[in-house]
Amino acid sequence: MKWRCALIQRWLPAYPDGDLSPFWRGMVRSHLEKCPACREELAGLEAVVMNLKAAPRPEPDQAFWDNFNRELHLKLARSVQSVPEPPPSRFYKIPYLLGAPALAGLLLWVAFGYLNPERPGMPPQPQMSQEQKALEKTPAAPRLAAPAPAPEKSEAVMMVSQNGHEMHGEDDLDLDGDLDSTLAGMTETERETFLKKVRQHEKDGSCTRESLAVCWA
Amino acid sequence: MTDPQLVARAQEGDLPAFEELVKKYQREIYGLAYRLVLDAEEAKDLTQQAFMQAFVHIRGFRQQAQFRTWLFRIAINQCYNYLKNRKKFGDPVDCDEYVLVGEDSPEEELVAQEDHRRLYAALERLPAKQRAVITLKLEQGLSYEEISKVLGGTAGAARVNYCQALKTLKKYMQNEDDYEVAVRPYPKMVTRVSRR
Repeated sequence: MKWRCALIQRWLPAYPDGDLSPFWRGMVRSHLEKCPACREELAGLEAVVMNLKAAPRPEPDQAFWDNFNRELHLKLARSVQSVPEPPPSRFYKIPYLLGAPALAGLLLWVAFGYLNPERPGMPPQPQMSQEQKALEKTPAAPRLAAPAPAPEKSEAVMMVSQNGHEMHGEDDLDLDGDLDSTLAGMTETERETFLKKVRQHEKDGSCTRESLAVCWA
Repeated sequence: MTDPQLVARAQEGDLPAFEELVKKYQREIYGLAYRLVLDAEEAKDLTQQAFMQAFVHIRGFRQQAQFRTWLFRIAINQCYNYLKNRKKFGDPVDCDEYVLVGEDSPEEELVAQEDHRRLYAALERLPAKQRAVITLKLEQGLSYEEISKVLGGTAGAARVNYCQALKTLKKYMQNEDDYEVAVRPYPKMVTRVSRR
């Protein structure tokens, strides 16, 4: 058998019904015109189809169908009594309708609270005093580089603003000033003097850096 | 009353409506089952089982396909299960139980009976799925698209299956005499060799 015949004979059973695509129908038709072997194969297939169609179908008489319907009716009637009611669809259940959004909301709340440390549901962190915050901002290098000298007893501590008014440490609690920016605006001499005073008063506990910086400014 | 109306009433539990559908399709389902199992009594039982299954599950039928196609699918599944449980493909078929009408002479009648005997013997050797394809295509007149909905797969696969089934059936019918002579003395061994 040639390869072309093998290819054509794959589609031969569908050819008589016209179920092939136009391309394959044309191919099969043109091949059948010049190939007696494929024509013979087609005739054999058509004979099988004719034989199948002519085969006696099982056609029982009316008594058979009466008996069939009677038996089936009894079985169906029994099954009607025993068939349970179908369970309601889950989409109609209120818990199902409420459960999914509630679960989604809970997951969102947990995820949001986990990612955001300042979440409202958590206990508040202990508030650091603004003085301590400001102290943390100050660079540690000057303090480490220059150890605190001995207190100078002769210098009197006097917090005076630039306009000459005397101030106390307790009065200037509103400290928005930055120590670094204050130091940056000073000359070298002023800075040393300022730092000396700061160290002195830190030891005494009479004044904080910030209040002094503000007073100095 | 049309099929969708009857199905809708049957879905509400209307037994007479369902029995109307049974009467409409029982012959087709019985013919299909008979072609698949090649046994009249088993075909009757399988037909009843198919209708029972259809009635139990008719609430799940969403009318996206034809009711007839859905029924064919149920019946074919029933037949597959039966064939799987039976462990072997059919008992010998006695085609003499059906009276052939329209034969002109006793000689022609004998020839026709011999043809049918060979046909049934060849059908018995055919795989169940190919038998189903041939029956649905030639006897029930379904298109390849409808066959694919009944048996699964695509329309192209159904056409290839049909072509293969017809060629195999032709081959079996040509070799049927040799096959029968060979099968009788050594049934198991020869069957295994011949199916390779």
